[in-house]
Amino acid sequence: MSATNTTQSNDQASRTILLDKVTKHYPGQLKPAVDGLMLEIPAGKIVMLVGPSGCGKTTTLKMINRLIEPTSGRIMLGDEDVTDLDGDKLRRRMGYVIQAGGLFPHMTVAANIAIVPKMLGWSKDAISKRIDELLDLVSLDPALYRDRYPKELSGGQQQRVGVARALAAEPPVLLMDEPFGAVDPITRQRLQDELIRIQEEVQKTIVFVTHDFDEAVKLGDLIVIFGEDGQIVQYDSPERILAQPANDFVADFIGAGAGLKQLTLARVRDVQLADPVTASPGEKGADVLARVQQTNHDYVVITDGRGRPISWLSRRQLSRLDTIDKSKNPDLPLVAEGSTLNDALDAMLASRLGAALVTNRSKALVGMITFDIVMKSINQLRADVQTADDESPVGTNTGSPEVSEVPND
Amino acid sequence: MIDTPRREVAASGTTGRSLIIQLAAILLALAAFAIWVATANLSSTERATLNSSALLAYTGEHLALTFVSIIIVLTITIPLGILLTRRPFVRASGTILAIANFGQAAPIIGLVVLLAFWLGFTFWTAVVALVAYAALPVLRNTMIGIQSVDAQLVEAGRGMGMSATSVLLRVELPLAVPVMLSGIRTALVLVVGSATLATFIGAGGLGLLITTGVNLFLPSVLVSGALLVALLALFIDWLGRVFEHYARPKGL
Amino acid sequence: MALLSFVIDRSDQIWFASWQHLSLVVQSLTLAVALSLILAFLVYNSQKLSAVANGLSAVGLTIPSFALIGLLIAPLGFGVTPSMVVVTFFAVLPILRNAVVGLSGVDKAIVESARGIGIGRIRTMLTIELPLAWPVILTGVRISAQMTMGIAAVTAYVLGPGLGSFIFSGLSRLGGANSLEAVVVGVVGVILLAFILDLFLVGIGRLTISRGIRVSN
Repeated sequence: MSATNTTQSNDQASRTILLDKVTKHYPGQLKPAVDGLMLEIPAGKIVMLVGPSGCGKTTTLKMINRLIEPTSGRIMLGDEDVTDLDGDKLRRRMGYVIQAGGLFPHMTVAANIAIVPKMLGWSKDAISKRIDELLDLVSLDPALYRDRYPKELSGGQQQRVGVARALAAEPPVLLMDEPFGAVDPITRQRLQDELIRIQEEVQKTIVFVTHDFDEAVKLGDLIVIFGEDGQIVQYDSPERILAQPANDFVADFIGAGAGLKQLTLARVRDVQLADPVTASPGEKGADVLARVQQTNHDYVVITDGRGRPISWLSRRQLSRLDTIDKSKNPDLPLVAEGSTLNDALDAMLASRLGAALVTNRSKALVGMITFDIVMKSINQLRADVQTADDESPVGTNTGSPEVSEVPND
Repeated sequence: MIDTPRREVAASGTTGRSLIIQLAAILLALAAFAIWVATANLSSTERATLNSSALLAYTGEHLALTFVSIIIVLTITIPLGILLTRRPFVRASGTILAIANFGQAAPIIGLVVLLAFWLGFTFWTAVVALVAYAALPVLRNTMIGIQSVDAQLVEAGRGMGMSATSVLLRVELPLAVPVMLSGIRTALVLVVGSATLATFIGAGGLGLLITTGVNLFLPSVLVSGALLVALLALFIDWLGRVFEHYARPKGL
Repeated sequence: MALLSFVIDRSDQIWFASWQHLSLVVQSLTLAVALSLILAFLVYNSQKLSAVANGLSAVGLTIPSFALIGLLIAPLGFGVTPSMVVVTFFAVLPILRNAVVGLSGVDKAIVESARGIGIGRIRTMLTIELPLAWPVILTGVRISAQMTMGIAAVTAYVLGPGLGSFIFSGLSRLGGANSLEAVVVGVVGVILLAFILDLFLVGIGRLTISRGIRVSN
């Protein structure tokens, strides 16, 4: 990055967060909001905290950066015990994003991003360079947006700046408290995709609070589901939670359409695709028809010189053609390799052919996906989840906490 | 100069309990004062000035100044304020408010003395000065109150076939009442305080006790005057709050 | 004209009194801003204390300035001290109220986000909450400025400094030479000073209110 933040270098790598028997008891309340929570958040993963309102998910998040001081228990960041660290200093090492970004309206975009690096004593040049880098990362043109004020940005743009600000000082950990709660559904989807892309680049340990289970499935490597009384009901990968809800509460929380939600977890590139018959413009219709008839296929995909599909013809259409022309059908059911099975299914339903064509980054045809393939892969997913025995992450409540027992390592 | 209402914000916090507390505090202070006057070791001059009939007379003058002024203010400025929100006069409203705001910057003591040079050292001169001084808050709040009535409600009224006058009387004015009331209370408090200065032009009132106290060097008279004026102002403010509390249309 | 020659003859005296008047008001305002901010920061986090501060501010504003001046003669005598106390007292009231309203009006989510990225408590107050509440506070300062200009004129009664002395001297020499001129100079002078100070405060607003939170650019 820059010479000034080398002191941070050991901090930049993502770190595991461990909440060790953490309890929060608000004065004047009968029951603790969070009771003896034991939770390990693995380095470099996105962990989603979900649950009904008042379930302690936000309290849990805020205890990680000690905006809320735990009543008892330890908090570890990597192998460092941060329970007794100065709260402000700790928070400067953790990115924090809230609804609408929590931007300071009286500061420009650049000034907002610069706050934490400035407090950490970075040089002016390093800060300025970092601002440009971060705006690029969140897909905002620095020249255009640096000197704008938050009110001059759309809700989605404010949220992006909020993420940029949180990442400013290369924190190993990013805490997000319902960050996309206040934007419209389309913007929310875009921001979610953006977060997935950014995470591929930065590989932080991200703890993300949401009440939207679909968001949790989409973004999370792991999901913690809290029950109404602040207990952890299930902590597992989205795949396994969908396939094997721990109890009725979780099943209710997942809601209808668990199968469809599973489809959002698998990508087209991960399934075995079918090979369609292909042909090029200029070939004789009869020749191609003969080739198709040798197979059990009913259709042929016409591709251009670079292998990009331009039309998709039935046997009947072929039989009427003398030579195959170059005309392009704009309504082809195309899906990218990176799409989810859910997207693929959607494209198939729209095409009425019961199949969709899969293309790679350069839009060249790589295969075809059908209903059968989707069915098969869903069954496979379920079977995998049931047989797979890789260890689930640690996450339990020990119930009533032992007050004095504090590991001192 | 400044078009932010001065005391209006605080008015919204008036509750039944705070009204009782305010009245109790005033009565308590008054009782303490009465006991002090009755028992303190006062000189004969002081006792002559502070006898109860004289005190009542000063208070009466003070109240007369206050209420005559405020009634004149209301009869002039409320119709004027309404007029300035009607179509043909709306354009003049900005200018008039600007002038009124500017006039508000004049020190009331200067206004009182200046008018006395012109109109003589009388009760009515003081009234003119007080009216001039207290007109702005009422005028401004009348206009703001009417202007901030939801335009859709006015349209709905017209849509039902109500005449412009009946929309004004049955929709706009009732909805403007809370803002107007708070302007009136502000004016009332301004007037009762400024009436203290009427003593400088021989128009009476409780200010006389203060000037007498200073001129004859009678500290107890001076303090009595100041205390009574303050208590009277708080009492008038209390009356204003009570009025505001109960005159406010239900449902707003 | 009598007025013109009065102004020319006494220009030194008028300048001096104007300067003293302005200086009394500005010094009191500065003191009042400091006091109000300290008080407001102490109470704004508690709804109860905020209500108490607002109530005191409202009650304080109902006390006639002349009554307070009278009350202060006994302990403080005549001159600059009682004038300064009275003017500061009244200057505090609108600023305090606006500061409490402004500070409690700052979006709690913004404050939490400041704390969440590691900005300390005091620093959050000074760099986040104060700038965000500043437009409202400054409006309070303007109201105070206008109000105390007039109150400062009354303090001439206790021999305080400033333009009020022209008004009272005109009054005491009623009918005498130049008595009317003296009063006119006092009144017009105060109006002009109030106008100038207000322009100055508007200018300060321009310089100190961030473009990001200005109502209109």
